[in-house]
Order: sequence, then structure tokens, then C-alpha cells
Amino acid sequence: MKIKEEMKGDVLIVSLSGKVIGGPELMDVKTVFQSAVNHDVSKVLLDLGKVTWMDSSGLGVIVSGHTTLSRAGGSLRILNATKKIHELFIITKLITIFETYNDEQEALNSFGE
Amino acid sequence: MRTIEIRLPSELSVLEPLQLFVESIGKYVGVEEDELSSLSVAVIELVKNGMEHGNGNDPEKIVTISIDTFQSRIRFHIDDEGIWEPDMAPGFDPGEGEELLSCRGRGVLIARNLAKWVEFGLSPKGKTRVTLIWPLN
Repeated sequence: MKIKEEMKGDVLIVSLSGKVIGGPELMDVKTVFQSAVNHDVSKVLLDLGKVTWMDSSGLGVIVSGHTTLSRAGGSLRILNATKKIHELFIITKLITIFETYNDEQEALNSFGE
Repeated sequence: MRTIEIRLPSELSVLEPLQLFVESIGKYVGVEEDELSSLSVAVIELVKNGMEHGNGNDPEKIVTISIDTFQSRIRFHIDDEGIWEPDMAPGFDPGEGEELLSCRGRGVLIARNLAKWVEFGLSPKGKTRVTLIWPLN
């Protein structure tokens, strides 16, 4: 799994790619969310478009990020969830918690609403 | 019917090779291409549960996966060295109420929804056995 970070305005876009299959590398994702809050960035857009495989451990990290950012007064939103990942969000009912988008600009605009 | 048995230490590092292996087996026996990742997610969720709840993530303890292929289905027996009951595992079903935002415990819920058949029971050794059956077209 690879992690890429990019600031667009006051929103941090975190892009994951490859397999999200558990293990110590997931701690790196948690660290990204915590680091954002430490730097007064509380609006994060998580791009999952290049994630080729994900299980519950990935969902756990996303929920952790949601909690971290919400406590800081911000939010975590999801971009480009694949069909399979979207299915996991539905199964676990996390779809009721997260705002999901397929268009980056629309997602970025949503933070200002 | 043919049986394949693999024995894995309770270490997360085995999961990625296992994912590739499960999808290879699935492809070989005719699981639809679009369903291969769902199959591997379901199997790995159950293996991880066995590693954690059955084996306490002790790398010395083994999860054994027995795969049997039939004309119309593929069956996975996933045996660990514990006797945990899924309903007793913390966070077993976080899909309801306040547990919706739990950071863990979704594995069995996901496996049960992705796979056509998931059943918990005991192996001949009296340890936890999870059976997953995936129909083939």
C-alpha cells in the first residue's frame, strides 16, 4: 500500500493505492490523520480510487480517522470508492456515516457547504 | 473431490500471499472474475478472526485451511487452536447502535455478507472451525 498526500486549499487529500490488507502499514494511515490534526488541518478527503483490495482492517482505520477528525471539528470524506469498497461500506452500514463522492471538485466543494 | 490443506502461523504477513492463493484457487475452479476479491476478503476475514480470537495472535499457533472443491461449490474449513464462540467475541457485530463506530470487529459481519454460507462449529479436535461454502456456476 502507498500513501500520497496533497493539500488543496484547506483540504488534505490522502490517496491510498494498492492493497489495504492490515499490518503495521495501517498505522501510517492513522498517523497521517493525527498529523493533519496536529497541523490544524481537519478537513480530509480520502481517495480510495487506486485501492485494489481492502478488508475490515482498512475500514477500521477509516473509522479511526473519522473519529480523530470529528473531534477536531473537521471531517473525513471518501472519494472514488470502488464498487467492492462501496459494498463493504454498505454491509457495515458505514455508508450512513460517511459522505462519498466520485468527483474530486464536488468533494472539495462539499467541505465549504 | 480434491483437498488442499495449508497451515499458517498467526502472523499478518501471511495474509497477502494467502489472498493471492485463494483468488488463484477460486479462478481455477471457476469463481467469476468479479467475485474473486469478495471470496478472498471473506476467507481472510475469517482467518484473521481465528488468528486473533482463537490463537491470540500467537505466531506459534497455527490456522489450518482445508479447501475442498466439488462440482458445484468450493468449501473452506478454517481451523484455529482456540474454542472461541463468535457471539462472545468483542465487537462481533458492530453494525448496530453505538458500535457502528468501533474501529474493529467487522470481519465476521463482512464474511457472512460476502459469502453464501458461513457456519461456526467445532473441528474433530474440538477446536473452533469455521466453514465457508462458495457456490460455483
